[in-house]
Amino acid sequence: MKQAIRALSIAIIILWIFIIAFAATAVYSVMNLDIGFEETQFFSLNEDVVVSLPFFINNNGYYDISELNVTTRMTDYNGTLLSVSETFVPLVASGSNVETAHNISMDLSDMSMEHTELFFNDSSFELDAFIALNFANVIPAQVSINMTVPWGAYFSNLSVGEIFVRSYNTTHSEVVIPVSFENHSYFDIVGTMQLEVYNNEDELVTSGQTNLNVSSSYGYDEQVKTYSSLEDVSKLTESGEVYFVFETSMFTVERWVTYG
Amino acid sequence: MVKEIGEKSLVRKMIPNVFKAAVWGIITYVFVGYLPTLLFPMDFLAFGFNQLFDLFVGIAVFFAVITNLFSGTILGYAFSIARGLVMIIYFIFALDGGIISLSMPISEVTASFVVDVKAFLTILVLVNLLGIGKNLLQVTSFLAKKVEANQLRQ
Repeated sequence: MKQAIRALSIAIIILWIFIIAFAATAVYSVMNLDIGFEETQFFSLNEDVVVSLPFFINNNGYYDISELNVTTRMTDYNGTLLSVSETFVPLVASGSNVETAHNISMDLSDMSMEHTELFFNDSSFELDAFIALNFANVIPAQVSINMTVPWGAYFSNLSVGEIFVRSYNTTHSEVVIPVSFENHSYFDIVGTMQLEVYNNEDELVTSGQTNLNVSSSYGYDEQVKTYSSLEDVSKLTESGEVYFVFETSMFTVERWVTYG
Repeated sequence: MVKEIGEKSLVRKMIPNVFKAAVWGIITYVFVGYLPTLLFPMDFLAFGFNQLFDLFVGIAVFFAVITNLFSGTILGYAFSIARGLVMIIYFIFALDGGIISLSMPISEVTASFVVDVKAFLTILVLVNLLGIGKNLLQVTSFLAKKVEANQLRQ
């Protein structure tokens, strides 16, 4: 019996030494983890808007971090899913440094069809970030963050001022349409703006097109000039609607705006 | 007269145990309660874990003192078994049954952390069960020796 008790005592002491050593080194390793984020980058890729969140993990601890999975889910204020992005880092070995970026991409061509309002009205998105990892191959950990991300519309406060007519030649008149909006988005708008002016009886008065080059956070306040026959110009009423088509390499959106 | 002599011998027997209990109490406090605070800053143990750590130190010191105070008696073994059971309950409670969940504000957002320490908890429980098993063997051995001594006296 004595030998059994002695053997058990030795086994228990050894196990406690292992447990304490593991706990102490695990806490030390977590404290020595250097995780940081670099400056967020915004860029466009084909028809996608990409928000890139570069981050680094400097594992100065004693244990590996494996199966690091970063998932973000972006929804609009109605809860409609806009984007799901995932970044997987298979291993951050002990003593190593990993630099990568989590890219959240949104297909603007899809958005222009299904969420047109987001192009004209500022809004906010709900961003759910979910980070899962396996520490020392025995301790799975998860972190979830929920945050609200402001969304700036490309054509915020789009409005049409008072339309007026100037005589151009004997057959045509110049129709001047004051158009203004503010680009609240993170991206520059480079493309074209087509517009059609309809009177209050839905008759086409005039149409035209102009190039757009509006930097991020800047406003657009221009007088768009179109030319119409005298007969068409005579149809212009004090109030009506203007049909806009904005076209860039990433999206095409349409919008009716009343004037007068 | 006989009673007085009995009390004196009991006190004389207890003195080494009291001394041993005091020494073990101090040693346990230094290793369990003091040294970890030197190695790891206690602000690391936020979210109520400070209180849990203090409770752990309290349990460890209490049982170190009490088991040494009654060492060589059946009560000493009983307290050792109790220590094992209390530690198992403590670890299950402190580690939230193996899934630690906590929320903490990071600038303007709230982050929720979930750490799965079931494997670690299982090892802790098993080691404590092993300790209880060892104590049961020690009790059996202790009682067997006592019975043997009584039989020899008879």
